[in-house]
Amino acid sequence: MTALGAAAQPPLPIGRRRRFLPKPKETGKSFLFTFIVVIVLATFLSPILRSVFVSLKTPEQVGQLDAPQYPAVLQTFDYQGKTYDVYDVPIEGGLKPLALVKKGRESSQFVDPSNAAAGLITWQGSWRSLDRSWTFSPEWSNYATVWDQIDYPRLLFNTAALALIGMVGTILSCTLVAYGFARFRFPGRGLLFTILIATIFLPYAVTIIPTYTFFLKLGWVGTWLPLLVPTFFANAYDVFLLRQYLLTIPREMDEAASIDGAGPVRTLVSVIVPQAWPAIIAVAIFHVVYAWNDFLAPLIYLSTKPELQPLAVGLAHFNTLHYRNQAFIQAGTLMTMIIPVLIFLVFQRFFTRGIVISGVEK
Amino acid sequence: MAAIGVQPLEALDRRAGGRRFFRRPSLGRSALARHEAKWGLIFLAPWIFGFFAFTLIPIIASLIFSLTNLSLEQTQPLRFVGLDNFVRMLGDHTTWDSLAVTFRFAAFNLPIAIVVPFVVALVLNSRYLRGTGLFRTLFFLPYVIPFVSGVLAWQGMLNLETGWVNEFLRMIGVQNPPNWLQDTTLIYPSLAFIGLWGIGAGVIVNLAGLKGIPTELYDAARIDGAGWWASLRNVTLPMMSPVIFYSLILGIVDVLQYFLVPLVLYNGTGEPGGSTLFFNLLLYKQAFNFQNYAYGATLAWLLFAITLAITLIVFRTSRRWVYYAGER
Amino acid sequence: MTARLFRPGVLLATFALVATACGGSNAPPSPSGAASSPSAVAREASVGPATVPPGGPVEIRWYCCLGGGEAPEQKAVEDKVVADFNAAHPNIHLTFEVVTYDQANGQLATELQSGNPPDIVGPVGIGGANAFHGKWLDLAPLIQKTNYDLSGFPSNVVDIYKLDEGQVGIPFAIYPSALFYRKGLFEEANLDEPPHKYGDKYTLDGQPLDWNYDTIRQVAKRLTVDKNNKDATQGGFDPKNIRQWGLELQRDDLRGLGAYFGSGSLVAADGKTAQIPNDWAAGWKFYYQSIWTDHISLTGPQFESKDINPEDYPFFAGNVAMSENFLWSTYGVGKLDDWDLAAVPSFNGRVTAAFNADTFRILKTTKHPDEAFEVLQYLLGDAAPDLLKAYGGFPARTAEQAAGIEALQSQFKNQVDWQVAVDGIQYADNPNFEAPMPAYNESLGLVGSGGKYLTEFGNKPGLDMDTEINKLRSDLQAIFDKAS
Repeated sequence: MTALGAAAQPPLPIGRRRRFLPKPKETGKSFLFTFIVVIVLATFLSPILRSVFVSLKTPEQVGQLDAPQYPAVLQTFDYQGKTYDVYDVPIEGGLKPLALVKKGRESSQFVDPSNAAAGLITWQGSWRSLDRSWTFSPEWSNYATVWDQIDYPRLLFNTAALALIGMVGTILSCTLVAYGFARFRFPGRGLLFTILIATIFLPYAVTIIPTYTFFLKLGWVGTWLPLLVPTFFANAYDVFLLRQYLLTIPREMDEAASIDGAGPVRTLVSVIVPQAWPAIIAVAIFHVVYAWNDFLAPLIYLSTKPELQPLAVGLAHFNTLHYRNQAFIQAGTLMTMIIPVLIFLVFQRFFTRGIVISGVEK
Repeated sequence: MAAIGVQPLEALDRRAGGRRFFRRPSLGRSALARHEAKWGLIFLAPWIFGFFAFTLIPIIASLIFSLTNLSLEQTQPLRFVGLDNFVRMLGDHTTWDSLAVTFRFAAFNLPIAIVVPFVVALVLNSRYLRGTGLFRTLFFLPYVIPFVSGVLAWQGMLNLETGWVNEFLRMIGVQNPPNWLQDTTLIYPSLAFIGLWGIGAGVIVNLAGLKGIPTELYDAARIDGAGWWASLRNVTLPMMSPVIFYSLILGIVDVLQYFLVPLVLYNGTGEPGGSTLFFNLLLYKQAFNFQNYAYGATLAWLLFAITLAITLIVFRTSRRWVYYAGER
Repeated sequence: MTARLFRPGVLLATFALVATACGGSNAPPSPSGAASSPSAVAREASVGPATVPPGGPVEIRWYCCLGGGEAPEQKAVEDKVVADFNAAHPNIHLTFEVVTYDQANGQLATELQSGNPPDIVGPVGIGGANAFHGKWLDLAPLIQKTNYDLSGFPSNVVDIYKLDEGQVGIPFAIYPSALFYRKGLFEEANLDEPPHKYGDKYTLDGQPLDWNYDTIRQVAKRLTVDKNNKDATQGGFDPKNIRQWGLELQRDDLRGLGAYFGSGSLVAADGKTAQIPNDWAAGWKFYYQSIWTDHISLTGPQFESKDINPEDYPFFAGNVAMSENFLWSTYGVGKLDDWDLAAVPSFNGRVTAAFNADTFRILKTTKHPDEAFEVLQYLLGDAAPDLLKAYGGFPARTAEQAAGIEALQSQFKNQVDWQVAVDGIQYADNPNFEAPMPAYNESLGLVGSGGKYLTEFGNKPGLDMDTEINKLRSDLQAIFDKAS
């Protein structure tokens, strides 16, 4: 392996999608490599598979100790107005599906679904040692139930609005501030940078009450403002990330632009931002995911306004003291994930494109 | 502000930025500097305003709280108690025990939290990998899962009786698989493993960094006959050092403030055997569960001081190993 | 009072002024937030409820869910109660704030401390309210003023809410304890069902035995079955592959677990010495033996496994034969069609059935105590039947219990012997196991839900229980000492 970095490919003209097609002799290597990644991923993602399985189970399956992991239903038989589970009973020289009507420790009574009129059949042995026939059967309606019960569309709208407005604020403010820190020299800059980073050293738990009080005095409690307005004033995490990235961008280009008469704002827009796309996209993704899953802040500020709450808060109604339907909880969680994953799918293409552009401009 | 008076971080981080922006020779040196300073402050203005508007007041309030006997129950009249809370904190062995727990876990987890996302980003950036977009998304997937759900999912996976991990171990013939989350020797590996589920953020940061490395550098290295390892050492690592530096600083802050996973798993009791009574967990419980606001704030300021001290040291070392291409 | 002037709200308002006005301005030390002392605000009782007061209706905020009430089905009922109330009371605008149980405590603390508290809180249990000891309004003056009738309640239930803070609550829902069991599992094992009447004997193998914890242990072993259908009394029983457990104790809280063996308190009469009641120690040992020696109860990891115990209590999933629990746990048994209630066994010749009670309380900080009390009366009166049904609550008013039983029964296919629960009221623990103790929330970290010792007992075989119980007492003492 000569270079693990994909960036080792020569730059391609704009408009041509970059495809990594290894030379024929490398195909074997490529498949092996991909295969190993698949194995690692399968382990890494197995809890999600488990959660998909659980989300599709019926309440009857959950808590059955001999039930399979995948969503399945039992064969049952209605006999004299009651429903009984069907077991495979070794009787008359073969396995026969019989409904277990009366359980006993040493012997139990069954009825033959194909011949119910014949009445009860007594079988000597332990019914717990018998197999039951589970058949794969996903309960898709769990998702519909969750959708209906928590007013999913409204919550989704709130979440998306909060995430996207905040994303715009974060990108705008953090890019400006990071540019200021990375490219300009002025007295007190070091101290300001120290203060910026130090704002994340104080744990959140102790500033909750003063922050809440402050927003209460502003009259912002019960609105989106405490969640949105601060995003337009930059945060340490993203400024630090962008600053680090901007500092890796060689200066020749800003300098060329400034010789051409471009001011700082034009340099930022036409030189720095195109170079910094991967980092800006990363910040955008971080903010969307953060806002999507943020629970405590929306809860605190919107507890009196259910109509303004995002998904994370709405879903918590399923994780409650007296209501723990495993299938619903998992279905709700998975439904929450879909949009951020789609956003990532779209954004991660920009990752590649941003690089192609910057590669060409060099 | 406690930050005032300490040596500015950036003074230590000397190579960082800071070159003059304007090169117009017609302007005098001081006029030029003034011009540059003006623009710098203009770009910083959003943060500076936000800092005074939203951040400073709560910070000062928490500092004042630490000098009072403020609590929700308030059995005694509220008053200033001077440094009583700090004396109590320094004299309480729980403080030191929980700091020890935090540092023990940090020593174990910090390298993992920095190296693994870097390696995964390298893999996802490899030209030997087919279907990169899909794999990126899949590695990213768990990061999207709400935090508490993710922790609970792993609690299920690691359950002694019915977790898939132990089911698998039994399948391959392990008679008595371990109780992962209740065993003092396995608890840190288990927590580190759970932590890897949030790897998506670190992978993205590293991926963005890798994408920013100019391709000519690799071409040049190849022409010089450099192999994979030499390219990694001489091109990738130096070019990635600003990103690694960022991961390191945030990794330190994160691990010093680590508490959510054990809070979810053990309700903050520090089980098994006190091995998860992290300092920030102690703090969270005091400030949020027991509503001892004054004492919680006191603990928070100790953590602030410790974090600041460690960060300063790391910034001091950074000039030796962090390379900024934007500087010559 | 200096304490009142120096509220953080005022403090911060001052900061805010100083900071936003760029310093200099003398923030007036006006105790604006402080003037809200409810006793000081001597408001006239709004006589005619059908008139809108000048300045629009009074806003009253109802805060939920320190102890349940946030489930979607429950919320639908609560929303309707609020709408109905507002339609009938133009003088008051009632709003409903739902915060889920996990976060409810922290959120209420934040609102209280920041000067944005609600007016009415509930439903809340005795323990949930203890976390906010000192914050509740003494209702006695309002009860007197409105001639509210307390005679319909059992007096021992009214007295639960008589604390050092005053009469902080009026009974609403009560939850006596009973032994939940599944008839089908007794039938399969060829065992008699447990007695429904307190004092009745239990016949095991033809022997009439007192219904006590020794007897229930014998029965529970017969009802603990492995995958080969061998029970825990038989040779070859495989404790690693249990398919059905005989007995679950109430394991949310070590105090509650103990309270089924006898009444007691972790704090001595002096209010600062930690103690472990002997009956509770015996109960915890019984519990520990049930898990690790007899295998009749689930281990900690089994209890935590969502595959074995998907819905709070293992009895709900059907794999447990008998389970001590409060009547509120009827919310989870609907899937079973053969469950019933039986008597809680006696310990040392005495029956104690741990007791839970929920109600709505008014916070001291309310600016409108009269209107809040009007809402409270509505919740405890006109809205009570709907709310009680939604919460699975048993009406505290003796006269309404028959209707309450009917409402509960209507949710189940099988006929349940509710009289067992009614009889259980007279065996309620006194003092209540949730009674206040110093540093309530912190102490709960040792014995409460997910608490240190509760977790340890369920997860560690081979403990010496006497040593552990002594350690618990000294840990508690350390917390009590710090609090005083």
